[in-house]
Amino acid sequence: MSRPDNSSAPEAAPTGPGSPRDVPPAPGSFPIDPETLPDPIRDEVLAPDPIAINTSAEELKDGLNRCPKCGSTEIRQKPGSDLLVCLYCRNEWHGQRVEEEFGLGTGLDDLEGTIIASGAQNIAADAASLMSFKCTGCGAEVTINTDNAMTARCHWCRHVFGVNEQVANGAVPDAVLPFHIKKDDAVARIRQFVDKRRMFALKEFKDEFTPENVIGVYLPYMIVDGKASVDVAGQGEIETRRYTRQNGKQKTTYYDADVYQVERHVDFTVDDLPLESSTERGNLDTAANTNNIINTILPFDTKNAVKWNASFLSGFSSEKRDRDVDHLHPRLEDQLLSIARAQIEKSVGRYDRGVRWDEEDVQVHGSRWVSMYLPVWLYSYQQPGRNGGMLHYIAVNGRTGETMGSVPVQQWKLLLAALTVGTFIEGFVITFLAFAS
Amino acid sequence: MSDDSGLWLLSLGPAGAAGLYWALYRFYRNTDKSHAFEHETAVEAKPVTGSDHKINEIKGTQQTRINGDNVRAYRKRVRRLRRRDPG
Repeated sequence: MSRPDNSSAPEAAPTGPGSPRDVPPAPGSFPIDPETLPDPIRDEVLAPDPIAINTSAEELKDGLNRCPKCGSTEIRQKPGSDLLVCLYCRNEWHGQRVEEEFGLGTGLDDLEGTIIASGAQNIAADAASLMSFKCTGCGAEVTINTDNAMTARCHWCRHVFGVNEQVANGAVPDAVLPFHIKKDDAVARIRQFVDKRRMFALKEFKDEFTPENVIGVYLPYMIVDGKASVDVAGQGEIETRRYTRQNGKQKTTYYDADVYQVERHVDFTVDDLPLESSTERGNLDTAANTNNIINTILPFDTKNAVKWNASFLSGFSSEKRDRDVDHLHPRLEDQLLSIARAQIEKSVGRYDRGVRWDEEDVQVHGSRWVSMYLPVWLYSYQQPGRNGGMLHYIAVNGRTGETMGSVPVQQWKLLLAALTVGTFIEGFVITFLAFAS
Repeated sequence: MSDDSGLWLLSLGPAGAAGLYWALYRFYRNTDKSHAFEHETAVEAKPVTGSDHKINEIKGTQQTRINGDNVRAYRKRVRRLRRRDPG
């Protein structure tokens, strides 16, 4: 075997797929020329990415929200209004309404694709709950746990910090709807709700009932606008004749009916449909929890939501979102189908024996997603029991004051009352039959 | 329907007890409540279109409503059709 000739020119470096010279495609590019692909695939490849509406507040990125007049960071929401007030110089100013700021109330008919506001984008997989800020006043590190708070105070110089930067961990929504119902009002509503339900309430609940312990919580929701078409198909029946036949003492009613194959189609838009964007709150299984109580106090006047500003959350607790748009798409489709079925009901009134829908379909032409914090006063009571018991809520809508609750029941009392009434009715019936015979 | 001996009246006692228990439990726990998004969301719908074809006649049924009536059960999902390609 002859040795290679070292004097000859070096061989060309290998090229082709997998070689060091095979340059990876630029981020976002497609390795094949889309023009060579079949039409449906090409359309999908060339379709624009979901559009994001940038709702981030650049001016608040350092975490400090300063009074425009005196520069103080001691800022709170003025109770009962959408105003922010400086606690130092009493200057007041309005939050910017997202509806006008980002044009969220318009163009429903022209919606196409999935439009996601920047605060509703996917939560980063490595998102940490703890965020640290370096205080520009004194240099101290201030940490905020975004699981339940959005503001904190510098323990040295008393600057107030808020989590205003959206991209950091996906915890920050696009908008916030400030509380209007004050705590005293919420307490009164909860007390009124429970006062109507004292007789059969669990004794421990009544003993420990202290509505003053209610807390104001901002809960995470996705507010969705959508444009959709729904088709449904099934059968409907119209009564044509009704008659009675007697068989001995027994009378039986019979019906004749025409059966129709019914198909319906409806195009519609929805404005501001709220979806729970936390896994826990979105679980509405009433056998396992009482989240349906919080769901019941929807809707909110989301048109009045203001651009995200952590100062509105000062003094309130908050819960973090953990569901992304993709997770919530099935829920949106489900609710759009229900809305369409309600719309279609009016068109099948002639079927006096009812309609049985067998098939349905929804096509979502476009949707626009905005992440929002909504204000809820929550009073909770942990009822002990099997499997950790049950957490009962009494919730007050922080804007409209609508109140709904779950009061734990003293089972033996309720059973006793039902049996007593049943026995009384039975006694009355027996007496009546005895007299009649 | 009617029974001349009137013994069916005896069922009123247990029915009354069960009904009261159920009603009070619901009043306290509100397990049946939820946001009525079908009616409380702002919806702009175009006129509903569709077709109706008579396919059958029923004679002498004792059922007062169509079997499986779900016209008002908006949230009860039925078989999902995969949409025909609009193109």
